[in-house]
Amino acid sequence: MLQNQLFDQVLKDFNTPYWVISSEMGNEEWSSSFLESLGYTSDPATQNFTYFLDHMLHPEDREVFYDKYKTYHAEGAEFKHYVRIKNYRGTYKLFRISTREELPIDIQSDVKLLFFFEVMIEKAAESLRKDNFYYKETAEMTATGSWYVDFVNKKSYWDFETRRILEYPEDYVPSLSQSASYYASAYRQQAADLFFNCAVAGKRFDTEIKMLTATEREFWVRAIGKPVYNEQKEIIGIRGVFQDIDDQKEKELGLRQSIEIIENQNSRLSNFAHIVSHNLRSHSSNLSLLVQLIETIDDQEEKVNLIDDIKDISTSLNTTIEHLNEIVTIHTNAGQKLESVSFRKTLDTIQGSIRHIIASGQTKIETDFQVKEIQYVPAYLESIFLNLITNAIKYKHPDRDAKVCIRTYTKKGVTILEVSDNGQGIDLDQFGDKVFGMYKTFHYNKDAVGIGLFMTRNQIESLGGTIGIESEVDKGTKFTITFDKSKENIKDKTE
Amino acid sequence: MKKGIHLACLIDDDPVYVNLIKKIIRKRGLCDELIVFSNGQIALDYFRNRFAEAKADLIPELIFLDINMPIMDGWDFLENFIEIKNTFGKKIVLYVVSSSINPVDLERAKSYELVSDYLIKPITFSELENIFRRNSA
Repeated sequence: MLQNQLFDQVLKDFNTPYWVISSEMGNEEWSSSFLESLGYTSDPATQNFTYFLDHMLHPEDREVFYDKYKTYHAEGAEFKHYVRIKNYRGTYKLFRISTREELPIDIQSDVKLLFFFEVMIEKAAESLRKDNFYYKETAEMTATGSWYVDFVNKKSYWDFETRRILEYPEDYVPSLSQSASYYASAYRQQAADLFFNCAVAGKRFDTEIKMLTATEREFWVRAIGKPVYNEQKEIIGIRGVFQDIDDQKEKELGLRQSIEIIENQNSRLSNFAHIVSHNLRSHSSNLSLLVQLIETIDDQEEKVNLIDDIKDISTSLNTTIEHLNEIVTIHTNAGQKLESVSFRKTLDTIQGSIRHIIASGQTKIETDFQVKEIQYVPAYLESIFLNLITNAIKYKHPDRDAKVCIRTYTKKGVTILEVSDNGQGIDLDQFGDKVFGMYKTFHYNKDAVGIGLFMTRNQIESLGGTIGIESEVDKGTKFTITFDKSKENIKDKTE
Repeated sequence: MKKGIHLACLIDDDPVYVNLIKKIIRKRGLCDELIVFSNGQIALDYFRNRFAEAKADLIPELIFLDINMPIMDGWDFLENFIEIKNTFGKKIVLYVVSSSINPVDLERAKSYELVSDYLIKPITFSELENIFRRNSA
């Protein structure tokens, strides 16, 4: 019998099967939970030591258990031992048999006890295996790797998925000192700032950043990190995940690029609508004025004289519509196929067709084509050369012969065309934003129509490029055309 | 009795429009004389000189200013004109006349104290007559 209530209570709460050892071996008192845990009903035939040894205990475990138990019984030598015990279904379960030292609280007892702790080895392993399976599946399917930076031991730890998305071998040991090299060079400072703020100020982060794989491939990652504290509330590390979001990010960037193109087209279109509206209105308003005038005149001869005014209006209306047609052509041409166009050949064609103009201005054309050709609409490149060269000649400096320098080169992988002259130049402070506007002329020159540069800009922009101008009065003008690199990339992708 | 406008000024680069306005003004006898400039720069040069010479009879009482012009557009003319206008005592009434129906242009024109109104082309006979009558001394 148990000697005190407290002990009794503890054992009940503990709910661990046990034996109360009797002075005579074989006369142990089994707790009810002992048989219950194995699924047996309380049957005096099975509830004895001999039956336990012969039928319940695994044959291989019999000898050792018997020895240890005997010693414990006789000399009180505490012991701990693993045995397999058969349940009522005939399958063995693993138990850790131990004497009182394994009890959660130290209670002195007059009787000797033997506890049977069931070891849920299979269950535990099974559940661990399942958890591990789900974790791995989740990590793989979402391409999310976890990592830990340990400030105490100055080490980084990566899980299998972090290694996989960063393309490092399975046995790769991440280096804390080389951690910058895991990020694309343009993003290293950002990564350093994030980790620093997290380590010092405990600031969590959740950001999109470009990383670098072992094979030097850059890719987009969502990086989440949070500080890890010890009991003294000191930051001892940073734990987090990297998720490979390269596909989504590329799509997002592509989408953003499309939006930019659409915005661009939209603004050009709306600009065009204004131009159409304004340019047509000026003629219609003249016509309306003329009608009012005719209505007030009674004299026939005077009326006939006004026919000349109708002719004037008609002529200028036609010119305007021709110009508008040219612009519309650019916009409808924007989707046309790009071809490989040689700068040299295009220039030769233009020089041939404006031979007389070039000769008349004693014009000298110098070239330096570091980039030989470009994917472009051939007619547009011709138009660019034509407009910029004739412009240079038209606005040449009165005191010197015109000299035009044309060169192509690449800057950061983008092709650039530069056309500079030694002409009159233009005061950009005064006219800067209007140079490329329609019907904008800035010189007292009877040839000035104000449509050339407007068309040139439209053609360039319709293919995603830009045109800029630098100029100094009396020194000359330089036009810089930057061709769109992504345009060619987009084309490659869609074909 | 009201005295009519003596000198009016038209700043516009559209020769067809200028020609028509000239004819209308002559036909209706809206003013004694009309001076025409084909862009803001020429007009500004004219005003600079006349102001300097203080020739009051060569300063128009009424100006019609176009916006879209080469060399110097209407806006630049206004900016420059504001600076020189106050050096002279004579009252000058200025109307912006443009075929632009862009509200941005309209707002911008109204932001100038100097600008009496923004007229959208085509202006009608009666509008024109009213303006001349209203601004008669």
